[in-house]
Amino acid sequence: MEIDPTDHEIADLGPKIKDVDDADELREMLAAEEDGEDRAPVKTLIEDRLEKVAGEDEDVDPSDADLDDMTVADVANMVRDIEDIDVLEDLLERERDGQDRKTAKSQIEGRLDTLQDSDHESEDEDVVVEDPEEKYPDLDHPTADKKHVRALEDGDYRDMWVYCETQQGQLIDVSKEMLGKARGLMDEYNDEYGESESVVAVLIGDGVGELAEECVAYGADRVIYLEDERLGRFRHTPYTRIFCDMARNGGHPYGRDDRQEDDWRDYDEPRYTVFPATNNGRDLSALAQAEFDSGLASDCSDLFIEAADISNPAKTGKPGETVEFQRVLHMKRPDFSGFEYSTILCLDKPGREFHPQGASVIPGSFDVPGPDPEREGEVIEHEMPLEDDWFKVEVTDYDQLEGGVDLTGNEVVVALGRGIGEDPTEGIELGLDLVDQFEAADLGLSRGVITASYQFAGHVEQYVTEERQIGESGQVVEPDVYIAAGISGAVQHKVGMDESDTIIAINTDADADIVEFSDYYVQGDLFEILPELIDSLEKGELDIQALAGGASDD
Amino acid sequence: MTDDYEHYEAVVVGAGPGGAAAAATLAQNGVETLVLERGVESGSKNVSGGLIYAEESAPYTIDGLFPEFRSEASERPVTEYYLHNVAGRNVKTIDLTDLHEHDTTWSDAVLRRHMDSWLEGRVHEMTRETGGGLLTGVRVDGLLREAGEIVGVTCEELDPIKADAIIAADGVNSELARDAGLMDWEDPEEWFQGVKAIVDMPASAIAERFGVDEDEGVAHLFSGDLFEGVRGGGFLYTNDDSLSIGTVFHLDSLVAEAAEPHELLDALLTHPLLDQWLQGEYEELEYGAKLVPDSKKAANPSPHQGRLMLVGDAAGQMQAQGPIIKGMNHAVSAGALAAEAFSEAQTRGRPGEAGQRYETKLRDEGVMAKLRPTRYTVASAVGENGAVASVTDSLVDSPLGRLGIEAADRLGLLRRAFNSPFVMSVMPDTRTPYVTAPTAIAEALGTPVREENDVEPPDLADRIGDLTYDVGDPHIELRDNSFAASGAAVSACPVSAKDFGGGCYRDEKVKTNGHEEHLVSLDTQPCVECGTCAIVADTEWEHPAGGKGVEFEQG
Repeated sequence: MEIDPTDHEIADLGPKIKDVDDADELREMLAAEEDGEDRAPVKTLIEDRLEKVAGEDEDVDPSDADLDDMTVADVANMVRDIEDIDVLEDLLERERDGQDRKTAKSQIEGRLDTLQDSDHESEDEDVVVEDPEEKYPDLDHPTADKKHVRALEDGDYRDMWVYCETQQGQLIDVSKEMLGKARGLMDEYNDEYGESESVVAVLIGDGVGELAEECVAYGADRVIYLEDERLGRFRHTPYTRIFCDMARNGGHPYGRDDRQEDDWRDYDEPRYTVFPATNNGRDLSALAQAEFDSGLASDCSDLFIEAADISNPAKTGKPGETVEFQRVLHMKRPDFSGFEYSTILCLDKPGREFHPQGASVIPGSFDVPGPDPEREGEVIEHEMPLEDDWFKVEVTDYDQLEGGVDLTGNEVVVALGRGIGEDPTEGIELGLDLVDQFEAADLGLSRGVITASYQFAGHVEQYVTEERQIGESGQVVEPDVYIAAGISGAVQHKVGMDESDTIIAINTDADADIVEFSDYYVQGDLFEILPELIDSLEKGELDIQALAGGASDD
Repeated sequence: MTDDYEHYEAVVVGAGPGGAAAAATLAQNGVETLVLERGVESGSKNVSGGLIYAEESAPYTIDGLFPEFRSEASERPVTEYYLHNVAGRNVKTIDLTDLHEHDTTWSDAVLRRHMDSWLEGRVHEMTRETGGGLLTGVRVDGLLREAGEIVGVTCEELDPIKADAIIAADGVNSELARDAGLMDWEDPEEWFQGVKAIVDMPASAIAERFGVDEDEGVAHLFSGDLFEGVRGGGFLYTNDDSLSIGTVFHLDSLVAEAAEPHELLDALLTHPLLDQWLQGEYEELEYGAKLVPDSKKAANPSPHQGRLMLVGDAAGQMQAQGPIIKGMNHAVSAGALAAEAFSEAQTRGRPGEAGQRYETKLRDEGVMAKLRPTRYTVASAVGENGAVASVTDSLVDSPLGRLGIEAADRLGLLRRAFNSPFVMSVMPDTRTPYVTAPTAIAEALGTPVREENDVEPPDLADRIGDLTYDVGDPHIELRDNSFAASGAAVSACPVSAKDFGGGCYRDEKVKTNGHEEHLVSLDTQPCVECGTCAIVADTEWEHPAGGKGVEFEQG
């Protein structure tokens, strides 16, 4: 033995062992290691080499291999390459007569089984795979072996369709966000490609028609709506059926037979579809895109349209070539909880079209645009029969989550800070009394009050909740009049109120930050000032809103 | 189901210099390594005084592991090093460049956001090569155990992850070290607290006011009577185009004096001595704070348990001995040694031995001897004994002592003593070296500063307002809100102050049923995650979720 493995670290042993070609020497080394340090990785290293070396010079003919000479592992390796059942049966026989090792026999038998199985298969090659649609006539989408393709051949695709979700008869914010984004995308698209494609808003629900003008104001060119009292709450089947019927023009091979062609368009299906990634929007997007037999990029945080250079031959049909795909919707989505982003593209491939290119969008990804009430658009009521069958799933109960306190939209907000610390209960009482002097007013609090250890009497405790917090981690308000009593005006508070038209500060400390960005400052203790203020308002001696009106003029 | 957890050969928690060194060394050894960082980007959670060293005697250096480090990630090198002994307006300056250069190959000022985010990029590239990678915004919140054995980590944002080695480089408030019972937050005497201001200053002004070229920089240390008798000192380092000015105090002393850290920092910033550099201009870019372990007392000599190894601040590996303040270099050594230990143990088929190998390496490579010098143990027994301390104090204070100081100075002994690493490492943690002696030296030998310093540092509310936060759920819970139990935090917390309602801790007198209680309340919104209140108040302390909480832009 030239190399004693126990003298070496595994790192130096690796290169050295490559020069050892003698199996016996390797076996000797293995034994030395086993007797010595017995390191698992070193043994693996030697065994690997041994296998290689042994394999080279022991290429035995199985039909006359001497089984007695072979280890079970050698037998296993040998039988793997044998295709002839007779040879294997002969080997099995000889093993039985010889050492009759159970493990060796099972190796040979295992190989025999494999070969016999595959023979069996090849005998009935002409298996008729039953068409799943015939096999399961009651199912819409037999999936055992997908046999249907609902994609179009040479379809015409235009426009960006935006599904606008509503709740309690209102457009939810993400619907407006998507319309704003779609407007921007299609304006750029039309510029770029010299087209005049539209943003089409889709409304489905009970009494949603009245929201159509709002959709136009937020950026839609056309609004297609369908309203029915049975559509008050989202249900999978009717919503999906309706959306798809809207999207597929008359004469569509997979659409409703008696659907009329829309006179306002000359294309088969939308080019792009965008859904909100809300609970309902996620369901609808998945169902609708599956019905179109296209793809879906779910939970996207950004969208843009541009060309993409693609070299994947599955898409280009031209191995080794890069093809530029035009007008591709790039759908960016966070992966792994936002640790990485991937951009999803939905591309046609030779012989198969993937349209509409569909995405669902995470609420809040885009800004709510400012509505333009002057914008004009076309509103189309979609007509189609709604089958009773679609409404078999009944909504028996639902719950509305608490809306919480909304301080925005008040003319006056009275906000209290840690200046109430001397007597927190009385401070809240005074604040509420002041609120009562105005028609549209409410009580706000600084974070410092909400997180304090103050004890409040039961009747005012209900007001001391995070829902009333104003500032960076609370609400942002911009009332006509903001009365800040006992608030120092740290930056975190300021960002929640400094857009107010008129700010009146009451504070003992003339150096408090809030004094700098107040229109009026009253130096003094809120426990003295607030009662006076309430008193003069009650008597009608003071009109704060008039005061504010005067102030906003300058 | 537990078998479904993702598995890596090694998981490194925290991507500061210790974690980066560990991950780089693991990747170089072919180990599949996942690095988890809770900040939105590495460095966004990190503050340090600001000097990183490459020691001649160290087994690893940051530029050895990351060759471009000095040109890409650091600020100016320290080419001059001074200690200013201050008594009122009197200042005696001692040149400590010799001490600074002892065992030092180089030393650069750094800003952690810039430095650590650069390291993050390199570490991500290196660990990807071996099947791993680096994820930010993930807070590791505990150890995964099976049958009592540590087998991985649990995260707030991801499923638990198993690993053959877990290197906790999760900083001074390491939750993993505490989960394993290897570190605690009990004794204020084992900790320092540092606060720091980053001050904007163009490179041209630095060149002129400090007399340095582009590739030169200065470190100034300050001690004496400018900190209301609180034991500690100040520092000023030059960055490329800003200054790092800060103060570091013994936490027990801060608590005993009920001192306000931000006011002590202001005392330094507004001292006439600083006028020569600030010249009436002061724009603070960032206010930060951190807890600093005193390795003499806090460094765990056996920082491992099962598959877990602690490196850097997480293991208390922060050497603060008088004017010698070294932390990041030891974290780099420890991180690389832990990685080396695991790689060797794994090659031998006995990964379970990594921890013991790491401990041995820390000892054999001399890291532990620097962190916990044995001569300190002996000296402190004498020096920190109350009676002896007050005798030495009064001796330095006495005319006889003054005479000695003057004589020592004439003989050059003073400079030699301050420049002796040996003398510095045995300095006891009493008032003598921090306050009494420097004051006495300055009174006896100092020359008065004539300039007036009229800069106005921002108040605490503005400092808090300038920091960037993403407020998540409150991550600290007050277990006992009585002032007696937790009131020390009102002053000791660097973003709280007495009579300041905008901080984390506020003291409040609450009237209930006719009697008044003295309480503290907590709002974690302005928290800079330094960990001070974990020690001085009765809290349940955790870090905020990944990506939440304070985000340092400078660090």
